[in-house]
Amino acid sequence: MTTTKQPKEQVLIRYGGVAAAKKEREQLLASMMSPEGKPEALEDVVVIDASYANFAGIIAASFFAEFGAEVIKIEPPEGDPARRMTPFGVTANGVGIPFLMEARNKRYFTLDLRTEEGRKDFAKLAKKADIVIETFPAGQMDSWGIGYRQLSQSNPRLIYIAITPYGQYGNRAQEFAQMPDADITAQAASGLAAIIGDPDTGEEPYTWPTRAGTWMAWYMAGTQAAIGGALSLLFRELSGEGQMVDIATADSYATLAQYPVIAGNTWRKARPRLGRYDFSMCPYGVFKTKDGFVAIAAGRDNDFRALLKILNLFKREVEEEYKTISDRITDNLPRIDQLTAHLEGATTKLTTDELVTRTIKYSLKAVRSKLSGGGIPFVMKVESPGTAMKNLHWYVRKSFQQFDDPKLGKFVLPVNFAKMSQTPPRVKWVSCDIGKDNDYVRQKYLSD
Amino acid sequence: MEEYFQFTKELFDPTKAKDKPQPLKGIRVLDFTHFIYGPTCTGILARYGADVIKIEEPGSGDMLRLGAWWGKYWKHTNPLSHSLHLNKYFVTINLKKPKGKELVYKLAEKADVVVENLAAGTAEAWGVGYTQLREIRPDIIYLSCSTYGQYGPLRFFPGWDLLAQAAAGTITITGYPGTDKYYKLPDYLGDFYPGTLGALVILIALYYRKKTGKGQYIDLAQVETMTRLLPHFTYFSITGQELERTGNIDPAMVPAFIHKTRDGKFVALAAGTDEQFKAFCTAMGRDDLVTKYPTELERLKPENAQELNRLAQEWMSQKDAADIVDLAKKYGFPAAEVVDDYQITHEEWRRERGSVETFYDEMYREFLLPGPQALLSKSPAKVKWLCRPVGYHNRYVLKGWLGLSDKELEELEKEKVIGYWDDRPGAKPPIYYDITTDPIFNYQGDGGGTA
Repeated sequence: MTTTKQPKEQVLIRYGGVAAAKKEREQLLASMMSPEGKPEALEDVVVIDASYANFAGIIAASFFAEFGAEVIKIEPPEGDPARRMTPFGVTANGVGIPFLMEARNKRYFTLDLRTEEGRKDFAKLAKKADIVIETFPAGQMDSWGIGYRQLSQSNPRLIYIAITPYGQYGNRAQEFAQMPDADITAQAASGLAAIIGDPDTGEEPYTWPTRAGTWMAWYMAGTQAAIGGALSLLFRELSGEGQMVDIATADSYATLAQYPVIAGNTWRKARPRLGRYDFSMCPYGVFKTKDGFVAIAAGRDNDFRALLKILNLFKREVEEEYKTISDRITDNLPRIDQLTAHLEGATTKLTTDELVTRTIKYSLKAVRSKLSGGGIPFVMKVESPGTAMKNLHWYVRKSFQQFDDPKLGKFVLPVNFAKMSQTPPRVKWVSCDIGKDNDYVRQKYLSD
Repeated sequence: MEEYFQFTKELFDPTKAKDKPQPLKGIRVLDFTHFIYGPTCTGILARYGADVIKIEEPGSGDMLRLGAWWGKYWKHTNPLSHSLHLNKYFVTINLKKPKGKELVYKLAEKADVVVENLAAGTAEAWGVGYTQLREIRPDIIYLSCSTYGQYGPLRFFPGWDLLAQAAAGTITITGYPGTDKYYKLPDYLGDFYPGTLGALVILIALYYRKKTGKGQYIDLAQVETMTRLLPHFTYFSITGQELERTGNIDPAMVPAFIHKTRDGKFVALAAGTDEQFKAFCTAMGRDDLVTKYPTELERLKPENAQELNRLAQEWMSQKDAADIVDLAKKYGFPAAEVVDDYQITHEEWRRERGSVETFYDEMYREFLLPGPQALLSKSPAKVKWLCRPVGYHNRYVLKGWLGLSDKELEELEKEKVIGYWDDRPGAKPPIYYDITTDPIFNYQGDGGGTA
């Protein structure tokens, strides 16, 4: 692990009790959540991941793999093009970084679905599988004779997850069947890009709809696909039947984050882009300090008052003018700009650490005070990914794991995204050579 | 092909969905969550058939009820509360009273899953933590949602969506290079995404319980779920450099960007694979580029990427949005117009598919909801009712589940162990609605039934 030791653990005790007892609870939890020697929730589940040039499918398969399913990734002899989708072309010995990140606990099996023989083997595999994931154009697998319609005949318990831009169902799905999927187009089509960017008073291109800086749409759709798969596994326990799961990546943001639909419906118009501001609350965003940036969330009135006190800005005029949450809503941008400039005037005089320390001291006092309503502004240092992973907290929680592979070199992955006492997710191995498990898969599933 | 879409049309037919069974039927969830993070998680379970009992404080209830953005209420409710809280049972219990705790313990006897998103350790301090409820139901699945997790030096740091994004590094990834302006992921995605992942984790735990009969304790930290979305850590560990912001360009594919079209619209375009790039070059009438830049890794080299993106952007700015999408459809590369909130609620295909769903509610009448997380052919999601006033299901659940008598309920009301709504927006029923004749609110059935 690449960690720099931090000076001294800073502990906030908010709900009484003795420090020693808290410490004990902490240690108890840490040992309770360790994956060592624990069973895996999905160890009896076999997943065939036939996704092609589409990370939503690969990500869904990763979630199953992390919970212990046997995941067999199918690719043509030249490899899935997803291997070569990587920021600025950076690779680990030819493997793209996103592909490396999702290559957890997977088997890699070469199978060319463009050939008759490949399809025959696929049908055979699917007979023994619990879940199939595919991202081909809607109807393509069906026309090859290995779609849900055919596979469910020979394996009625099969759960079949199909991921495409516009789904398997309806006119739009049919019209756009041949269009491949990409993350940036899914961000655009699901309502995410439209609400990131500067207000229209700014300069182009900053006022344009903006891309979220990671494969957000693919991650959301992948998570939704995994949810569909897990629900189907539970339903199969009840009924003994498999089913088809239909995921459209153009739905991902609107269905997961709900706001676009709720706003579009109740306002009868689109929300504007608000740059660094939030839609409901102010102050709620990133502020400059002497040496970096902090995130401040102080939307509620008492939190806002507390923030003014911490920044030594508590004067009657300011307090009166921006008193309630409705005095600070972001429909009046010049007014909010003014408030932000006022606050930033004070935050830039302090270093990030000073500001965070001050807030913690204040909130300790406020929580212990008998007078309620003191408010706690929520302040946190804005970390970049490179600095974020060095925090002692993540070392204690084992949230990042370092790997050293003779072929792939040294690299770090974010792992263990949920801590579970019985069946925690884990990364057992990372290796992704094309066809590395051909013999294993043939022997285990295709020998008869 | 025609035939295939006929097949899927029957498979997913929404008119038949209401007669189909649900995958989480009979699963009972005790829900101590508030705001967005926890309710997203239990909301997904409720939509697929679980009985979710949302336990609120008498009076104001969940603070989210009050927090309509820009102060815009819909029928005196926060419109978001309807999509977050659909199908839930709304019960108020004052946990400060010993009798209130007793009620919770009685409910826990019948529960399969408990979810809370209080500050770390608070649920234990209140007597409704995992260690306490495990005594009552040894096979309980207990999910604690927090920003930094239940253990580790930062555990008591306060957190919201924004702070989780700050701590995970997600704030610094969106925006333009060379500026000091950072855009957060919008709309509290730092709450919605972890909540959704929480639902997945519960489903996995339920599957394990079905196989072995064992429950478990789950500690879900917002920040950790957000780090799962970033290739930036791995990039940093390999190159020793931060993966910089790239504005509207996706640095992992070439060409891939959002750009303005001739008719002033915005279109996202990507042609990441060799096949897609070839298709795109044909559409652009520049087949020569295929021989010049034959492979993905060749095109991803920064100088080539810059040149190709520039060419493609120039091409896009001379075309109308609709024409670009048509060409993409015809030749087979990804392109999509940037759609806003209004388009999402009004596009025909989303209504047909159920990506947005019109629901007629007894209390709030017609409302447009975002669709479910996934379309399932045999056990689909269903909407039964929208958000309800504070304490609306008190009688229904306490009589139906626990078999309390009218007299016992009256006593609990008198002792302020249970209660109803304050007179404020979000908490109370709509003005036009006559609550005195509501059969659920005034539930007359007696004990022994199931809610």
